[in-house]
Amino acid sequence: MGSNMLAMILAGGRGSRLHELTNRVAKPAVAYGGKYKIVDFPLSNCANSGIDVVGVLTQYESVLLNSYVAAGSRWGLDTKDSGVFVLTPREKADSGLDVYRGTADAISQNIDFIDTYDPEYLLVLSGDHIYKMNYAKMLEFHQEHNADATIAVIGVPMREASRFGIMNTDGNGRIIEFEEKPKKPKSNLASMGIYIFNWKLMRKMLLKDMKDPNSSHDFGKDFIPVMLNEGRTLCAWEFKGYWKDVGTIDSLWEANMDLLDDKNALNLSDPTWRIYTEDAAVLPQYIGPEAKIRRAYITQGVEVEGTVQNSVLFTNSRVGAGAKVIDSVLMPGAVVEEGATVTRAMVADGVRIGRGQSVGKKNSENILLVAENIKGKEE
Amino acid sequence: MANRAFGVIISAGGNFHVEGLHDYRPIGAFSFLGRYRVIDFPISNMSNSGIDQIQVYVSSRPRSIAEHIGTGRHYNINSKRGKLQLLFTQISNPKSIYNNIINSFLENYEIIERMHLPYVVIAPSYMIYKQDYQQLLDTHVESGADVTLLYHRVNNARDAYVGCSVLNLNKQKGVLSITPNMGTANEKNIFMDTYVMSKELFLDLIKQAKTRSSVFTLSDIVSQKAEELDVRGVSHKGTFASITSLNDYYHANLDLLDLDKADDLFRSNWPIYTRTTNACPTKYYDTADVKKSMIANGGQIEGTVENSIIGRDVRIHKGAVIRNSIILAYAEIGEGVRIENTIVDKWAKVQHVKEIIGNPAHPDYVRRSDTV
Repeated sequence: MGSNMLAMILAGGRGSRLHELTNRVAKPAVAYGGKYKIVDFPLSNCANSGIDVVGVLTQYESVLLNSYVAAGSRWGLDTKDSGVFVLTPREKADSGLDVYRGTADAISQNIDFIDTYDPEYLLVLSGDHIYKMNYAKMLEFHQEHNADATIAVIGVPMREASRFGIMNTDGNGRIIEFEEKPKKPKSNLASMGIYIFNWKLMRKMLLKDMKDPNSSHDFGKDFIPVMLNEGRTLCAWEFKGYWKDVGTIDSLWEANMDLLDDKNALNLSDPTWRIYTEDAAVLPQYIGPEAKIRRAYITQGVEVEGTVQNSVLFTNSRVGAGAKVIDSVLMPGAVVEEGATVTRAMVADGVRIGRGQSVGKKNSENILLVAENIKGKEE
Repeated sequence: MANRAFGVIISAGGNFHVEGLHDYRPIGAFSFLGRYRVIDFPISNMSNSGIDQIQVYVSSRPRSIAEHIGTGRHYNINSKRGKLQLLFTQISNPKSIYNNIINSFLENYEIIERMHLPYVVIAPSYMIYKQDYQQLLDTHVESGADVTLLYHRVNNARDAYVGCSVLNLNKQKGVLSITPNMGTANEKNIFMDTYVMSKELFLDLIKQAKTRSSVFTLSDIVSQKAEELDVRGVSHKGTFASITSLNDYYHANLDLLDLDKADDLFRSNWPIYTRTTNACPTKYYDTADVKKSMIANGGQIEGTVENSIIGRDVRIHKGAVIRNSIILAYAEIGEGVRIENTIVDKWAKVQHVKEIIGNPAHPDYVRRSDTV
């Protein structure tokens, strides 16, 4: 059954605040939660919400992201008339090769792609958020309110509201004002960067925005304010649940640590809303005879011979005999050799912490990212 | 790379019965090491050997096998060129003496005839081993033999491999006969129910078996023809297990907690494929104490686990102690329950009974979906 809503995931720039983690892969392809990649979340949400066609917009050419999302079968998006498409800036007949000048421009430059599906609604998502959301419910709300656009919002603590784009609404959920990072916020409803637009109207407005020399072609800064000025119906749909923007090493580490919390609202084990990902042909997790594991989130292909405390271990990571991994995240294939210690750190994909070495500090202000092999001590 | 053989995977005959587990599914569908099913091994061996035309024969209770292997896509079989066929027999009574593999072949005779490859590799869905069939086929063709059989030299045939067959070989590895393992000695050449021959001979043997006796199996006819045909044995090295009794199943699993043995079976250049259930990683709580065990994904562990295998989505509550046991998917072990030397089947809940202690030589078994 086809949906009349097409999704576009803004996979954005390089995610440079994630440092070396995004040197080789775009941010949406960064690993999370033991076995997932960040982009698995919006993609699985789309699949579970009955959306068949998803475009992934990325500025940063990434072979890995491309080949990863192109296998739409991982999320069940491989039936007839469905698919996942990576859309990088392309050279077109009537214009040169442009980079995406802003989030709205990224959509504008792919109007031809969207037109081939002739959708009624366009769902715009962010590729670096971790959350489970049923977009079909948001669409229902959008339709019930006869809205021109609906923006998903989440209640944030009032004292933090000035860090977000805040929506001020009337009693019926209609947005009357949008303030980007207000000094004195009037509400605590923060935009999640998730939008539903009526495609026909949006298409018209995008064509206008493309030609506007004063526009920075951004949804938050330009497109939404123009809609409000024109008196369009914009509604706020309040989302309740787990939502995390993983822009920095600290927040990525935190999002992983959240999985250890018994009251964690993300609940990845919910059988009615699975998050799909690439399956690795690896053994189950092997826990050795001397291992000590307290509070950990561990996936298949992992081998633990040492001590693991309050940590998340990704596919094929290894903890050698006598090694200690505390308050840390071992990304896919990371190895902590015999007797080494890792504290409050993220060890990047495939990185080896040599025998007897020690990285990270208890009570450090920031989480240490270890992105290069550390040679082991001689015996 | 394409192989010149097609694959045939056969299910266990009436000579095998695995207490408990077997009442619910064929051996090929038994869970293995927490994340696999036994049939993943022969299919992965074939796929890794470049065999992409595979027939899987199921004699009874096909649901779990059909669901698990599906289109075969997860076995890395080319979805256009390759084909994984599930073939059923009409005689559905698994106890019937007519429900044997020769009858399955006869019922699907035309399908076998239509295969356009000159050789066939036949392997059992109830044994665990790693074998490059391309290499075995090369050996077969080079030797000029009519039939090549794979066997494993074991030193515990008195207690294990009940119901399996034995190859009686001459000094040149020529097969003299195939006889049942009567447990008369520990050292035996256990037949791995794995054959290589030409498609023509295969079809011929099926027809001949039928004329000789309606209850003949493939190994019966090969054994009878051993005098006139050139039948040879090839010795298999490495990890081998026959999942044909509850004891053998139990030990085959626990033996692989020795990582050296597991490493021999699971090589990165020889992946064992299986169907994913998209389970999330496993959560170990503050009170968890896990040692020398294999743990599948989706678990929640608050108790103690030692020398055991824990399947997918298993929940182990606080104070529970599991030793030398196999807990299959979706089972739940309640607070303070002690389980030793036991196999707990899928979806079972152990809450009310506080202790289930089996004998290591004869493990206990808790039935599927039972609440005890």
